[in-house]
Amino acid sequence: MLNFNLLFDPLSLFFLFVIFIISLPSAIYSLGYFSPKANPCLSGRQAPAAEKDKYSRGKLTLLWFLFVAFVASMALVVTAANLLIFLAAWEIMSLISYFLVVFETGQEKSIQAGLIYIVMTHIGTAFLIAAFLLMYQHCHSFDILVIKNACQAMPAQLKNIIFILLLVGFGTKAGIVPLHIWLPYAHPQAPSHISSLMSGVMIKTAIYGLIRFVIFTLGVNSSWWGMLILVLAVISCLVGVIYALMEHDIKRLLAYHSVENIGIILLGVGLSMFFIARNMPYLAIFSLIAGLYHLVNHAIFKGLLFLCAGSVYKATGTRDMEKLGGLIKKMPQTAFYFLIGSMGISALPPLNGFVSEWLTLQAFFLGASSVIGGAKLFLGICAGMLALTGGLAAACFVKAFGITFLAEPRSRRAEEAREVSFSMKAGMLFLSFLTVIFGLAAGWIVALLAKVASASTGIEIGSMIFSLNIFTLSPQTAKGVYLSTPLLALVLIVLGMAGFGVYMLFGRRKPVIYKTWDCGYYKLSSRNEYTATAFSKPFRIAFSFFLMPYRKTEKIRGSFYHVKSFVYETHTTPVFKKYIYAPLVALVFKSARFMRRIQPGSIHLYLAYIFAALLLLIIFMQKF
Amino acid sequence: MRQILLFGILTSTYLMCIAKRMPALVRSFRYQSFFIFLITLAAGFSEKRIDYYFVALLILVLKVFIIPALLNLTARRINVDENLGLFVNAQLSLVAALVLSYCSWVFSRGLGFGQYHKLLAMTVAFAVIFIGAFLMISRMKALTQVVGLLVMENGVFILASSVSGGMPFFVEIAIFLDVFVSVIIMGLFVFRINKLFTHIDVTKLSRLKG
Repeated sequence: MLNFNLLFDPLSLFFLFVIFIISLPSAIYSLGYFSPKANPCLSGRQAPAAEKDKYSRGKLTLLWFLFVAFVASMALVVTAANLLIFLAAWEIMSLISYFLVVFETGQEKSIQAGLIYIVMTHIGTAFLIAAFLLMYQHCHSFDILVIKNACQAMPAQLKNIIFILLLVGFGTKAGIVPLHIWLPYAHPQAPSHISSLMSGVMIKTAIYGLIRFVIFTLGVNSSWWGMLILVLAVISCLVGVIYALMEHDIKRLLAYHSVENIGIILLGVGLSMFFIARNMPYLAIFSLIAGLYHLVNHAIFKGLLFLCAGSVYKATGTRDMEKLGGLIKKMPQTAFYFLIGSMGISALPPLNGFVSEWLTLQAFFLGASSVIGGAKLFLGICAGMLALTGGLAAACFVKAFGITFLAEPRSRRAEEAREVSFSMKAGMLFLSFLTVIFGLAAGWIVALLAKVASASTGIEIGSMIFSLNIFTLSPQTAKGVYLSTPLLALVLIVLGMAGFGVYMLFGRRKPVIYKTWDCGYYKLSSRNEYTATAFSKPFRIAFSFFLMPYRKTEKIRGSFYHVKSFVYETHTTPVFKKYIYAPLVALVFKSARFMRRIQPGSIHLYLAYIFAALLLLIIFMQKF
Repeated sequence: MRQILLFGILTSTYLMCIAKRMPALVRSFRYQSFFIFLITLAAGFSEKRIDYYFVALLILVLKVFIIPALLNLTARRINVDENLGLFVNAQLSLVAALVLSYCSWVFSRGLGFGQYHKLLAMTVAFAVIFIGAFLMISRMKALTQVVGLLVMENGVFILASSVSGGMPFFVEIAIFLDVFVSVIIMGLFVFRINKLFTHIDVTKLSRLKG
């Protein structure tokens, strides 16, 4: 019954590739991140900040061990050919990531984040176990391939139940709204290279689970599955990006973007399921390609961005954007890599994010033009939401880059920042390079992903054409839609060079360095600068129906006419926490308190329990 | 003959239920153990087995003399109120004991042993176990819990000897040793509890909870 076979079909290989391509730069990066001498600027008066990052030798060894075990467990998750092995690997992965979240044990926040994480992940696993047991009950085997064959004869009702269980189980790990609650707490709390692994890779294993178990094993048989995933994905996109806009902790901002990007990936996957159920093979393959493409892209640029954020944290000792600023002058390389990552995630051509979001949008347009009735409208709305998400993401990264790296330093720490060590830069360079490559080599990658999609859906791709040649993608050959990122890059380079040439020829002027015009107020300091909160104010107003911002003001007066101090705070209401999780947690605690009454601490009562249990058992035995 | 001895055991167990003070309880326990000694001796006579004599001798020495003496000693040493502190008063305890005896009768009958004397022995054994547990639950003082455990152990002994013709000799010896050691340890603990809290009232030991 229990075998240790591994599965190495194209789907597993693809995910293995994603895991290892992110793990490698993370490992290199962590060499510098933890080396004690890498940070000369933090000696002296900033020593406490540096102390926080310094680990003892034993703890560093433990971290390496956890890192390797984490990567290995993720690799096992995506290759396990047996449900039990899968579950074991899944649980190991969850536990190790929990240990990594609480690794910086000194911080109260870590413990709390870890608690939320481990509770949520176990709830998810419980749903998975239920789904797997139902599968086993019907198929009498834990082997995925055997189950795949047996699932063809599974009643539709059972399939629906298993699908819902799997969706909740994997959705918890992926961070689909409203199950995302743990993600923005847990991911930023781990050491940065681990954050990049968690956000870049670990949540993708949940997507793997969905593809492997829903599309590959179970087989999609009704189109509402895809529609449900699409709805959840659209909500995840919007909620993720809106919360990210409100955030000024740089790592948590990135974590919220993971929620958004998981939504975009799921748009591709859900769309594929929708088309499979409607028996439209070309579109099914095409959507899945878009989803998988965005998956690998997100792994790359989110890994990159987390590494950059880690560098910023390492150099300044803070993750609060309001205390940063001006870093582009101190850490030009990190700034450059962060810019590449931001451009990737904001889907600017010719980088990788652009290609995959373009593919996803094309899948929606193609789909909308080939279905009729309400579905057309539905797909159109989804596409619109995706476009909105892209716009908001771009705005968010304007904020993230602008506030963190531009203008004047907002605190002493930001002033004293220095560029990070070589191995850290190497890790970031590698991922920046990939960001560009995955944009330019779109033709090849789509051809490879088509094979992966074909293997996971079981649809033949012999006669399907996705690209004109290796430089040009063209999903709708007949309709004349083309995308060639190398050409785009070329155009941009040529235009840029032309512009530069014109500037050099005619527009060159001697720069005059002077202070910013300050309306006659002669003492502008960093406190007068634009802040992240101010930048996101228009969005806070635009989405106030969802964010429900509120403010608290407090005046302390000497007399009626003299206000001594004035405190102004503005917050947004955490909707999901307040209206879903808080009542749930309160309910759990209430019932727990109720149950605690059976434990009054009296030995006699405990003895009586034992005695009563004994008597009841004997009576039970007599009766049956 | 055996029946009379079994009723003797049962009666001494009922006596424990109505005992209000420590010496009375220990005395009843002594009677009970003495009856068990007699039963084992009788079994040794009828089945002509040497090891039964030895076990009987051990019962006589340990359960009739040493352990009750130890209990009395502890009770005297900690020098507290001799009252047991009854949750359930004597009359109601007796009623409960009768109900439990009836239950054990029903249970043993349900187990389906044909021979009458085995059935009777089993009923008494169950009754003694139940009443021992009942004593542990319904008396406040920590020493009563010790006595209750000993009573339950007696019940288990009767059960083993009546149903399976006794346990292997070495197991028997080991159990005696266990009981003896546990009495010493619990005596020590009770002594310690008394020293620390200046009472041995278990109802007041209720701080350890979630």
